[in-house]
Amino acid sequence: MDASMEGLLETYLFETNSLLDGLDELLINAEKIGDFSEDDVNEIFRSMHTIKGSSAMLEFNCLMEIAHHIEDLFFYIRENGIDSLDQTHKSELFNLMFKSTDKLRSEIEKVENNEPLETNIDSFVGEINGLLKKISGEGSDTADAKDGGKDAAPADGAKVSAIPDSAGDIPYFIHVYFEDGCGMENLRAFMIVNALQERELNFTYYPDDIDSNPDSAEKIIEDGFYIGFHLEEDLEKGATVVENSQNIRSYEMVENHEEHAPESPVQEEKTAASVHDTAAPAAASPAKNKSDAVPAKKKDTATHGAVKQDLISVNLSKLDALMALVGEIVITESMVTSSPDLQGLNLDNFNKSARQLRKLTDDLQDIAMSLRMVSVSGVFQKMNRIVRDMKQNLNRDVRLKIIGENTEVDKTIVDGIGDPLMHIVRNAIDHGIEENVEDRIAAGKDPQGEVILSATHTGSEVIISVSDDGRGMDTDAILAKAARNGILTKPESDYSQKEILMLLMTPGFSTNTEVTEYSGRGVGLDVVKKNVEAIGGVVSITSELGKGSCTTLKIPLTLAIADGMEISVGKSIFTVPISNIRQSFKATEDDIVLDPSGHEMIRCMDAFYPIVRAHELYNIPDACTRIEDGILMWVDASDKSYCLFVDKLIGEHQVVVKPLPPYLQQFHIKDSGISGCTILGDGNISIILDIAHVYEAARGIY
Amino acid sequence: MAETTVDIIENEKGNTPKNIQRFLTFVSDNITFGVSTDYVIEIISSYMICTLPMVPDYIKGIINLRGQTIPIIDIRLRMGKMPQEYTDTTCIIILEINDISVGIVVDSVTQVQDIDLDRISPIPTQNQQELTSSMISREDGSVVLFLDCEELIRQ
Repeated sequence: MDASMEGLLETYLFETNSLLDGLDELLINAEKIGDFSEDDVNEIFRSMHTIKGSSAMLEFNCLMEIAHHIEDLFFYIRENGIDSLDQTHKSELFNLMFKSTDKLRSEIEKVENNEPLETNIDSFVGEINGLLKKISGEGSDTADAKDGGKDAAPADGAKVSAIPDSAGDIPYFIHVYFEDGCGMENLRAFMIVNALQERELNFTYYPDDIDSNPDSAEKIIEDGFYIGFHLEEDLEKGATVVENSQNIRSYEMVENHEEHAPESPVQEEKTAASVHDTAAPAAASPAKNKSDAVPAKKKDTATHGAVKQDLISVNLSKLDALMALVGEIVITESMVTSSPDLQGLNLDNFNKSARQLRKLTDDLQDIAMSLRMVSVSGVFQKMNRIVRDMKQNLNRDVRLKIIGENTEVDKTIVDGIGDPLMHIVRNAIDHGIEENVEDRIAAGKDPQGEVILSATHTGSEVIISVSDDGRGMDTDAILAKAARNGILTKPESDYSQKEILMLLMTPGFSTNTEVTEYSGRGVGLDVVKKNVEAIGGVVSITSELGKGSCTTLKIPLTLAIADGMEISVGKSIFTVPISNIRQSFKATEDDIVLDPSGHEMIRCMDAFYPIVRAHELYNIPDACTRIEDGILMWVDASDKSYCLFVDKLIGEHQVVVKPLPPYLQQFHIKDSGISGCTILGDGNISIILDIAHVYEAARGIY
Repeated sequence: MAETTVDIIENEKGNTPKNIQRFLTFVSDNITFGVSTDYVIEIISSYMICTLPMVPDYIKGIINLRGQTIPIIDIRLRMGKMPQEYTDTTCIIILEINDISVGIVVDSVTQVQDIDLDRISPIPTQNQQELTSSMISREDGSVVLFLDCEELIRQ
């Protein structure tokens, strides 16, 4: 039961999150037009219904309540047509809906983090009901009248079909009633069926279409759920299973002596009906909604069925396992084909097959890599929402233009850019776009500000940029502020424009003296920089005063495969990511300059860079110690640039990055500049260096 | 800590007669150790250890075992003994402890032996060593110390 619950929860979170994402997108688009189309209303209604049902099943009452009331609200709108609302009501409705999706999302987050859900949501529900009252006005009476009629009809129909047709030849029954209002009765029944099947019992059940027909939930509420057994011992085992299931109000074991069966369900039916009658009027409306939602749901599966079949969601760990295996095959392939045993042999057929194998493994690797690629549209669409909220709260007229949202990036990277992007977009609007429309008009710009979010591929990197056409950044002000905050490391006049803009990303820097809800806490850009660096990317800012600014993220397409330069130091082999290498060159002792504290430096392109000797840093014996014998590699990672002294370069390879074994994490191996390892063609291991951390580690020991 | 480990094993094996469990015995620095075969994945003797910088000396490095990278611990150094040149009999026992794989370098592997858990006794405190806290004396008078695997991977 527990394991199945966990699986359910996973599916629930996935489904609810995608529904909420869909809702957000829908709301944004609808708000742009300023109106809900009939399809929108239906879609919202359906989504809320699904959220309500599944939340109820997992007993997230607070989520269920909210979804339930929104469903009510949209039921009304659907019945009366969206045109019955006037403009003020519509804008109120939009605000309420945005607020509701936020609320639902925050509660879902709590579920994800295993925190207790909010129990007191009365005020929120009150808000929804308030709006419903407002828009329904006097129309509510007629709606109520309709309810009554509808309520009665299905109940009557159900009574007739209550008796299981096949009951005659089955001697024993368990008759189960679920708790009132627990929702999704058909699925609960299905869970019992599953549990019974696990015990390998021989049984039948009625209604028998619980897994395919949502209508059956209604029948189960009305008539209860029947499980039929041929053997008495099965009946007893079945009873224990039922007893252990959740949300069962009552169950009874029934022996079917011909006439008995028809009677008992009818009796039960009456009690069920009476419960129904005595329930508060509020309880009647969900039941009505339920019956009404069924056709809507059917339509939903019909229209979306074709789309859904194209996609399956797969657990990321399975994908990772596949990736690891494919990496293995690629390595083993080169181990086999370049085996020393084959040297000097003339093997035409073998070589032919080996070439074919290489081609196939390359294809396999490409395909496996592409599995992890997802488009950035999900993250980009979320920005719409942020722009919308800021527009409202800061009262600035801004539009967001999205370019290249179909660009595909590795899943982990997409997950990693969400937060940084949000910060940047917020900054662009809060700091970038002019506060007063008059300022924009005076500068000859379109009164409506524009923020452009774009993504493009360039070889092995993806470039994501956020540009605004606002007032640009005042470098003098930035410099003055930096001086005030004491984060300058050299005289003010020595700073180039680029360096000044880099200051923005120093911890504790914020040019907005006032702290607003959206930005100005001074944790913005340095966090952005850290997050982007964590996924191997680089942030850069360009800006022109009066014309706007642009923040660019350069991010590798994937973290799983990298182009690396193999280098040797003593007997050890290391891999340095090619993207970090600027230049490799020989130098002589005379080129080295010592700084006052004795650190070695060397001149490259008119600037001096520190030298980090790999053999000293890592204490590697038998390595070259004279600068003439080894080679210097000029490397940089974001703002750090230095020269790494190594013995020699071995060659360039594409490497499959493997994380270090978890046991080693306790030794803070990442801090010593090692980001992972890779297995070479000969089966040996090469350590992948993390250029930024190598420098930090080197500074630590000097 | 080792006692609780043994307890767990006892519970697991509680239904088998006489509480017998299989142990792999190996020698390190002339002491015979035993490790439950539940933890042992395999024993390898040819290896290429890739050394890692900036780790304690008992971490000899990582090896590539059919594509898996496995950290290697030298049991001698881990217990604070003097290092010894690796010889032909030196081998690596690959253990999987709570889903964490590690290899331990030992002087030699001796045999797999059935040991009655009921006869295991704690080591007198004054002789206690790190990583072991229970022992058994065999018929021939020799003593086997039991390696506490959980302690081995403890942070």
